Amino acid sequence: MTMEQTYAERLNRYVTAMRNGKPDRIPIRPFVAEFTAKYAGYTCQEVVHDFPKAFAAARKCAADFDWDAVVGNMVYVWTGLTQAIGLRYYGIPGIDVPPNTGFQYREPGEDEAFMKADEYDALIADPTGFLFNVWLPRVSKEVQPIGAPATPRNNLALVKGGMAMMSYFSAFPPQGLALQQESGTVSAIAGIFKAPLDIIGDKLRGYLGLTMDLLTQPEKVLKACEALMPHLLWVALSGADPDKNVPIGFWMHRGCTPFVTMEQFQRIYWPTLKPIIEELWRRGHQVLFYAEGNWTAHLETFAELPEHSIVFHIDRSDPFEAHRVLGHKFCLSGGLPNTLLAYSTPDEVRSYCKKLIDGVAKDGGYIMDASAIIQNDAQIENVKAMTDFTREYGVY
Amino acid sequence: MSHPIQPGVCIPWEEKLKELPPLTGDAELAKRIWEETDALGYLFIWHCLLSF
Repeated sequence: MTMEQTYAERLNRYVTAMRNGKPDRIPIRPFVAEFTAKYAGYTCQEVVHDFPKAFAAARKCAADFDWDAVVGNMVYVWTGLTQAIGLRYYGIPGIDVPPNTGFQYREPGEDEAFMKADEYDALIADPTGFLFNVWLPRVSKEVQPIGAPATPRNNLALVKGGMAMMSYFSAFPPQGLALQQESGTVSAIAGIFKAPLDIIGDKLRGYLGLTMDLLTQPEKVLKACEALMPHLLWVALSGADPDKNVPIGFWMHRGCTPFVTMEQFQRIYWPTLKPIIEELWRRGHQVLFYAEGNWTAHLETFAELPEHSIVFHIDRSDPFEAHRVLGHKFCLSGGLPNTLLAYSTPDEVRSYCKKLIDGVAKDGGYIMDASAIIQNDAQIENVKAMTDFTREYGVY
Repeated sequence: MSHPIQPGVCIPWEEKLKELPPLTGDAELAKRIWEETDALGYLFIWHCLLSF
């Protein structure tokens, strides 16, 4: 079989499963991040700060493990770029944290939030202007606030940051092509999306600030989420797969209970998320719900979405309940606990994979993956066990 | 950037046009190129928020 045929076969297998169909066998699509460094012989610092090494490591894993689909670089942050902009919230391996620790996101304390509690109106009035004029100078050590004198470091940070982003993003299409040509591997996702409420919690008010705002000024939070919606849709579409094969990655953080109450989820999170997913599907784009944490309480709500519009990824959600509630409409992925990959034996990994496949994958519509992104604590023999067992046992 | 603007836009073409002398050439070309490069600035800040 030629590499071109291998790629076509894998793309068909992956897309068939994502449309909740039954392919020839279960696709294997591990979201491998710092694991690639461990396998390829790099430090975390090397893959996060020198992205061509991360790309090379991803290709080596894809080829050696013979996976159906991977992300071109699941160590998604290039810290050379974040350093150029001067972003305060990253802990960079080898600089801020030990070289073999994954990069860290450092959420500021409540009093140092990047957006203040009384700034909702400014965000609502002009989200893009707020980001440039208020948010960026706060998250960057280099960028000066409006009204402050421009400095050489300010000017340089903006030029370097823009050029670095262009350089980084421009490297992804060749990476996708290299994966296709070298190992017949499919690029698993295209584009990025996050829920409006998560954006406010993650990057603007911080989680603690957001929880207070949800109690003291919920209408402002709702209006801010509504103001973010068209922008998040636009960015999601700008990076989506033009062929409409692979889904847009949707990274779900703290929109589930108990991070928010069910009432807050139903009143703010869901009404400002659902229309975007529906619009993306109307335009032919599936969305991968990378549901970090436990979203079991919200499965019935997700079942409201149009058939096939999403792929639901299982982290700590109950896989069997997810299958019961969502399996008739949507493909599922993941569900293999990362703790097993890190601390158990290959036999235990195989045993759990069997339980998972028997419970959720009998009729197709399932993609094998770990629960969360696979970092450098995973044992290579366990990742191999997950791969080999699925390839042997997951044949339809 | 003191007024509400559409997704994909930092400085609307209509605002930029006020700064320019009367256009003698292809106005649509001028508009398109302005908007395409302006969108790069938009992508920069929104990817700072979303991706990094």
